[in-house]
Amino acid sequence: MKRREFLRDSLLVSGGLTLGFSVVANEVRTSAAAAGITPIGDFLRITPAGDVLFQVVKHEGGQGVATALAQILCEELAADWSRVHVEFPMADMARWQNDRNGGHDTGGSCTITYQYDLLRKAGATAREMLVAAAAKQWGVPAATCRVENHAVVHAASARRSGFGELASLASQMPVPADVALKSDKQQTLIGQGKAAKIIPDITSGRLKYGIDTQVPGMMYALIARCPVFKGRLRRFDASKALAVKGVRKVFAMTPVAGHHEPPYMPHDIRDGVAVVADSFWAARKGRDALQIEWDEGEKARFSSEDFARLAADRARERKDPTGFIGDDNAVNDLTRVRKTLRASYIYPHQVHSCMEPLNCTAFVRKDDCEVWCGSQAPNLIVGELAKLLKLPPEQIRVHLLPSGGGFGRRYYPDFAVEAAFISREAGNVPVKMMWTREDDQTVNLAHHYQHMEYQTAIDGANKLFAWYEKEIRTYTWGSHYAGPELPQMAYDIPNIRYDFEELNDEELVQSCAWRGVVSHGRSLSECFVDEIAAELKRDPLEFRLSLLTRGRDAVVSEGGRISSDRMTRVLALAAEKAGWGGELAAGRGRGICLSPYGNTCVAAIAEVTVKDGALRIDRVTVAVDCGRLINPSGAANQIEGGIVWSLTGLLYGGLPIRNGRAVNRTFAENKLLRMNECPKIDVHFVGGDAERPWGIGEVSTPVGAPAVLNAIFSATGKRLRTLPIEGQSLTS
Amino acid sequence: MKYQLTVNGTRHAVDVDADMPLLWVIRDFVGLTGTKFGCGLGLCGACTVHLDGIAIRSCSVPVSAAAGKALTTIEGLSPDGQHPLQRAWEEGDVPQCGYCQAGQIMQAASLLREKPKPTDAEIDDAMAGNLCRCGTYQRIHRAIRKASE
Repeated sequence: MKRREFLRDSLLVSGGLTLGFSVVANEVRTSAAAAGITPIGDFLRITPAGDVLFQVVKHEGGQGVATALAQILCEELAADWSRVHVEFPMADMARWQNDRNGGHDTGGSCTITYQYDLLRKAGATAREMLVAAAAKQWGVPAATCRVENHAVVHAASARRSGFGELASLASQMPVPADVALKSDKQQTLIGQGKAAKIIPDITSGRLKYGIDTQVPGMMYALIARCPVFKGRLRRFDASKALAVKGVRKVFAMTPVAGHHEPPYMPHDIRDGVAVVADSFWAARKGRDALQIEWDEGEKARFSSEDFARLAADRARERKDPTGFIGDDNAVNDLTRVRKTLRASYIYPHQVHSCMEPLNCTAFVRKDDCEVWCGSQAPNLIVGELAKLLKLPPEQIRVHLLPSGGGFGRRYYPDFAVEAAFISREAGNVPVKMMWTREDDQTVNLAHHYQHMEYQTAIDGANKLFAWYEKEIRTYTWGSHYAGPELPQMAYDIPNIRYDFEELNDEELVQSCAWRGVVSHGRSLSECFVDEIAAELKRDPLEFRLSLLTRGRDAVVSEGGRISSDRMTRVLALAAEKAGWGGELAAGRGRGICLSPYGNTCVAAIAEVTVKDGALRIDRVTVAVDCGRLINPSGAANQIEGGIVWSLTGLLYGGLPIRNGRAVNRTFAENKLLRMNECPKIDVHFVGGDAERPWGIGEVSTPVGAPAVLNAIFSATGKRLRTLPIEGQSLTS
Repeated sequence: MKYQLTVNGTRHAVDVDADMPLLWVIRDFVGLTGTKFGCGLGLCGACTVHLDGIAIRSCSVPVSAAAGKALTTIEGLSPDGQHPLQRAWEEGDVPQCGYCQAGQIMQAASLLREKPKPTDAEIDDAMAGNLCRCGTYQRIHRAIRKASE
């Protein structure tokens, strides 16, 4: 690994007034006024009093990364955890580069995996510099000193110096080339279920999210966006809007709509009209008073049912395989097939419903631009604003803020582009551009639509010998999805074929990443596996275990491989904890979903009761193998939350569209699971001596739905193959 | 129109339209941002505050209705962050993104004032109006139980 050059001078203190949020001071304050605070390397600042300020350069949207990453670094530092705090610095693309290590990009359940080695080394490096500083002050060899509980000690002379006293000198010490790291057994902070560091600020209301930004002279803006995807603004009359007290300006957003071309990270900005006012309330009233004529365009002719039909037609067509193992036509081998099974499963569009509606505050000045928002990819914001504003990237400054939910939606820079455009157009004033909840539900990006077409072949010996899977999907990352070329297939089946076809041009709403991204639809294969087990009259658990061949690696996303042994272990743990095989009263059922995701694997078992056609989800047991656990409490919270997410999508999800317009506008129609509907969720980690940590943020979002669908079958004999359940009958 | 509001024991004078919901007065005019905007329709609970000690959805109550009454926001729930619910939230490592949690805590505080020892069903019922997209319901429930002991 390349040795990183640790910067001695703080780049966090730049010329001019910048506002940095610090948990230590518990108020918004200027970084420039932070006298005496010493940076050591890129991730650490130490106050004169000795408080350790961990720099959170990744996005904190509830995954607990701020805390877990701090634990990793502070492990090597022997810091007193109670004196460790987390800070969100300004984005700095030069300092923290997206090179699989230190950058700001946050997504894919990759954060811990990418930063584990880097932060351990950063902590150890800072340790050595603090030790060197103490040794120099005391005139003793560094090898005779060590860190202990937030200080450096020299045992022989019983001397002790705290981190605060040493920080300034430490930052001037030479950066060591090699540092010793603690062994796994020596770790005392990693593996501990510490409460998240941001909790006191959350429970007191002090934590500032993007939407809480307050800048002197700030205006508020709302945008009336075309209700139909790819529709155009024809004309508008702002006279009534401008007559509303507090409304200052009204103008078209058309110049920025469609400004940003995919091929990568598409983020459609709809045509619309912006209203700028001196308060949110005035902006809202102003927007309501706009009179707009849209050219709704082609997509206004279509509804969800039309799209579903189109996808189903495409799914039935057999074209060339995208990838295969063995014989690509084995499912049709009439010399061998005794029984064919077919099924279509649909995982539809879903809305993110981040609790913090999208927003961005932007201040475009003559030569620079400042932006405040929660963003999973500030580099994309910088890139897009540099193009829009024709400014050098270094002059686009992004304040990193925690968000009320990223979930993949906050990866896209569109809301920052909207805000910057408005700031400039309104006369170079600071503007907080906000989305209402109705905007969020009706004109937003959404989880892509996935139609999964399955076919399988069973031979005379009752062996499952061929698997065919065709996925029809709308946009995800690029205009043409490059991979993977095989199904997300845990099981040892000799002939596997995967076909993929995109439906990007026909989509009725812009698609984007939604937590587990493609895994939600692809995990419905676990329902089809259940159908095969039922056909063969085999126990769903026993059948799956029989297909996990010992010693075999299974292909999961994009070349990632997970051993069957790990999957067997996680499945067996879930079964044990859920009491699989135990007696089930009438109307009760159990269902399994096994999901390898990246390098993590998850098995979920749902227990349900169906009575008088009504479903109650009683319990979901989840077993997780995510390698080395950094924070078991935070990790369990993620798994629990992912199950709730999965169940919301199953019970209430979807995005019905009529004549190009989204039908559901509020939480009354787009329901989220509530506390009284939440089942008991039991999470078990496999434990053991894994060396490396793997991801956790998205790994349970695909598993709740298939497990419950399988449990419904177990309880009723009824097989449901599309989401949401709401509106479908549970009686045979 | 001019209004006098008492928020967390402090008097504030604001000049806003009579129909402006309390939520926006609190956030943008009094300047307390702990109370959150989630939907503006009283469907998510993120905006929950106490009006004369009772939980209300501030997005759905106009400023004119608060004249002469005592408003308490999350910032005023305790002087030191040590309300039993705030402590239980920390001990139980409850929040994820945290955006809904001020509303959850204010709702729970109102419940515990009315029913100091609620049953599981009473907790579920009282909290059913507060959404958590991150799905921390199990932990919220446990923390309320803990705080009520």
